[in-house]
Amino acid sequence: MDYLCFALRTTAIAFLVGGLWGTGALLSAKERSTSVGIAPEKVTDYVHAVLEADRSFYTTHVVNRMQEQGVVAATEQWEQGKGLPLPAQFLQHSGRLVAEAGYGIRYKLIGFAPIYQRNAPATEFERRALELLRRQPDRPVTGTVSSGKKQYFQAIYADRAVSAACVTCHNSHPLSPKQDFKLNDVMGGMAITIPLE
Amino acid sequence: MNGTSPPSSAGARWGLKTKIILSMLLVGLFPLIVGLGMAFWQGSQEIREVSGESFKALATEAARKLDLLIVEEIAHTARIANDPAIIRELERRRDAPSNPRASTDLERRWISRDKAAVQSITDNPLSALLHEYFSGIHSPPGQLLPQVVRSSTKMLFLTDTQGALVGTMTGHPAFRHQDARWWQGTFNRGVGKLYIEGIHFDERVNAYVVTISLPVMDSLRHGAVGVLHRVIDAKEFFSPSTHAIRFGKTGHVMLIDTNGIVISCPILPTGVPLSDPQLIPLITPNHPGWVQASSDGHGGQATSVIGFAPLPETSRATNGSIDQGSWHTFVWQSSDELFAPIQHLFSWVLMFGMVAITLLASLGYLAAGRIVTPVRQLQQAAQAIGRGELEKPIQISTGDELEDLAGEFNRMNAQLKAAFAGLTDQVELKTQEVRVLQQSTDQILDAVPTPILLIDAHEAVQYINRAGRESFPAQGTVPGASLFSILPLDQAQQKRLQADFLANGTTPLTTTVSTLDTIPRDPLMPNTDHESAGHRAQLQIGSRIYGYQWFRLPARPGGEQSIGLVLRDTTDESRLQDQLVQAEKSGSLGVLTAGIGHELNNPLFGIIGLGEVMQDEQDMEMIKSYAKDIVAHGRRMATIIRDFTGVIDRETSDKPTSVSMEDIVDQALTTAQATMEMKAITIHKHYAGTTPVLVLPDQLRQALVNLLSNAAQAMNGHGTLTLTTAVADKMVTTTIADSGPGISKQHLAKVFDPFFTTKGQGEGSGLGLTVARRLIRKFGGDIRIESHEGQGTICSVTLPINTTPSAQGGPWTTSASHSAPQPSHSS
Repeated sequence: MDYLCFALRTTAIAFLVGGLWGTGALLSAKERSTSVGIAPEKVTDYVHAVLEADRSFYTTHVVNRMQEQGVVAATEQWEQGKGLPLPAQFLQHSGRLVAEAGYGIRYKLIGFAPIYQRNAPATEFERRALELLRRQPDRPVTGTVSSGKKQYFQAIYADRAVSAACVTCHNSHPLSPKQDFKLNDVMGGMAITIPLE
Repeated sequence: MNGTSPPSSAGARWGLKTKIILSMLLVGLFPLIVGLGMAFWQGSQEIREVSGESFKALATEAARKLDLLIVEEIAHTARIANDPAIIRELERRRDAPSNPRASTDLERRWISRDKAAVQSITDNPLSALLHEYFSGIHSPPGQLLPQVVRSSTKMLFLTDTQGALVGTMTGHPAFRHQDARWWQGTFNRGVGKLYIEGIHFDERVNAYVVTISLPVMDSLRHGAVGVLHRVIDAKEFFSPSTHAIRFGKTGHVMLIDTNGIVISCPILPTGVPLSDPQLIPLITPNHPGWVQASSDGHGGQATSVIGFAPLPETSRATNGSIDQGSWHTFVWQSSDELFAPIQHLFSWVLMFGMVAITLLASLGYLAAGRIVTPVRQLQQAAQAIGRGELEKPIQISTGDELEDLAGEFNRMNAQLKAAFAGLTDQVELKTQEVRVLQQSTDQILDAVPTPILLIDAHEAVQYINRAGRESFPAQGTVPGASLFSILPLDQAQQKRLQADFLANGTTPLTTTVSTLDTIPRDPLMPNTDHESAGHRAQLQIGSRIYGYQWFRLPARPGGEQSIGLVLRDTTDESRLQDQLVQAEKSGSLGVLTAGIGHELNNPLFGIIGLGEVMQDEQDMEMIKSYAKDIVAHGRRMATIIRDFTGVIDRETSDKPTSVSMEDIVDQALTTAQATMEMKAITIHKHYAGTTPVLVLPDQLRQALVNLLSNAAQAMNGHGTLTLTTAVADKMVTTTIADSGPGISKQHLAKVFDPFFTTKGQGEGSGLGLTVARRLIRKFGGDIRIESHEGQGTICSVTLPINTTPSAQGGPWTTSASHSAPQPSHSS
């Protein structure tokens, strides 16, 4: 089963890296000829689409399927034994891998009521974005943020409880501050950050 | 056993008492030992289980506590890393155009400890901020760093994105860190990651340390702008947490890393590996548990129960990831101490067991005593019964089978006594009978006039009767004296007697003795003894002659056979016999002479008379007639002489001839009439015809003449003589019945004895019937005489009928082997 996990993870990483490579290529193309530049909103939309598709596929055809067949279940402590990473963990860990790849792009899940404080909104922009998304989950909140002299484009998409696994875990985890999530609720947002230089 | 026990191997034999005590002890001891063993085993198992589970729980708890401690430390450190001023300063440094030359210059001066350079770092705002945080100025009340944490923190410094030192609180860390693993792990290509460095020796602080490194993220938390590094003295930091957890004398908690290096232990120094490398994989899985290991990791080889648990949160970040190594708690207690309770219990149970065994032994002794005492009574009683001495009934009142047994013993004893009493009476009776029998036997033997000796198998004389004692005045003590010391015999006779004795008396009766015993010897019988004189059973002892006879005595059960020797003094008998023979001879001669005279006188006187008449007679015719008469008289005389002498023509009588019985009877009658006065006797004849018999006619006639003469003599010249022949069963019986006075009973038995006669001297020899019987028996027949006094005598002669048609040459069956003695003449 570890082999299976490893295969899945490798596949996912390949997908993401491939997608990002393409994005990066597009961006550099834009830099070279500003006339055919691509708007950062588009870039984050693309990235978001890829991430959504990957996570959705993983959730539906790996996690649910394995659990239904009784082969293996998804668990938070997947590293310590038999188990698949939860879909949220899948996204977070792939985000770490993407970040470590060194292209400057970051993505992560942030929540209104995160189980771990590290997944709470880190900046004022993120906090405000989540407030907005709670009311208007259909459209992402975008903006330019800066760290020192560095400028980044950040887009935050509303993130819903896409599967029963999300709801069950958040409603039963002892550290979870909110335990009345329902399927398809907006649980937080997916923040995608790309450097603007 | 009061000396009544059998003496056989008292040492090797276990008495009933010992056995009962032993069996009770065994019955008690066996379950005790088995139970004790099982209890000990089970107890050990359970203690192991319980301890293991407890250790596991304790390890888990300790791990959680240590985890929290580290998490707290990380949080403390993170507060510094999250300080906006520090972030801003580091962002500024990141965005500032890089000046490698200035940086290299500063590094050189830092290494050479140039005061200005050192001050430029240690006194810059970042270092001041670190100081402030550490001393707690920025901490809210209640969140001050504990003293332990402060003292255990050996270094705290910041690097920029290039790994160069930008601020430090204490000490003198190296200037560049971009090649250090912790720095690369924490900076993580700008992504930033918590990095806890495992235990190692740091030369700068001269101690085993662990480090916590945190990235300083930019204000967007997008990327790392620096690294905050903290060096902690492991022993100092963890010991308050781990050393506090002690239980018993040896029980403690320790913290080790995945390689078995001790991070903190109350016993082992920090930084040393566990003594047993094989233990490490057992206790460092990524989940809590307990094992029973063959060593304790502290240098001991005793089987140990070890609880363990990983520090989940800390391990996640150690050396970059959980795969690079994890930290674990290790809970252990010395086996001696761990199993002390069960050993204690064991010793207690053992002690109680001893007490129980002592009790069992005492109870067994008592019980055995209660059981064995009546058994011994019974045993003694049985011995007494065996000796026939039990007088009092056995008194056992245990109320159980032993009492019943005692009752049975009493009953048995009573029955035995009764049986013995009857037996004793009977024995006395029999003894008396035996005594009487012995006395009577002795008296009978003493009364016997012939010497009788009883001799055992060794030729020792056991008994001599009175006649013997008188005949052979004992020359030795009688029971046991040698046979030949009593019988003075010459060498040859001794030899002969010994040979007879060795033949074990198988020829007990010699013919001579037999004849002497039953009937007197027939003096007219040819004496065959002369030919076998060498084998005669006669002994010459002194001047006397003894016939002897062996007889076998039945042996007593288990005893030797003894042989009896009967001696018979035949000296007088032989002498008498010789006299008798002589007398008979002379008697017979007298009778013969008288008979011949009487018979011959008549014809002789007739001849003489006729001779005288012839002398005077002239007439030739008359003379011829007289001469004829003289010839007749002469012939008659010749016949008479022939008959009386018994000289029979042997040529004609050698072979038996088939003749008519009736003819022979008639011829015999004629002969008898010629010699006896029978004119007044009426003769009746009842013949069965002519019955052939195969005989020598003269001898048969002679026998019948004897019988008829006896009958005529008995009737004394007048009476009735009835002659009958009858045929029955291939035998012809000729009966001669007279009407004489009969024979008295006492004489009847002796009529066939030789020399027995009722007639006067010269009238009979006493041999007539003897001769007649011998002759008749020779022809295969027999004579029987019946008589009643006053009613006459019937003499029956039975002979076999000759069935062969040709009389001449017929089988001569009768007593062919006998040496046929010639009949002697009888009157």
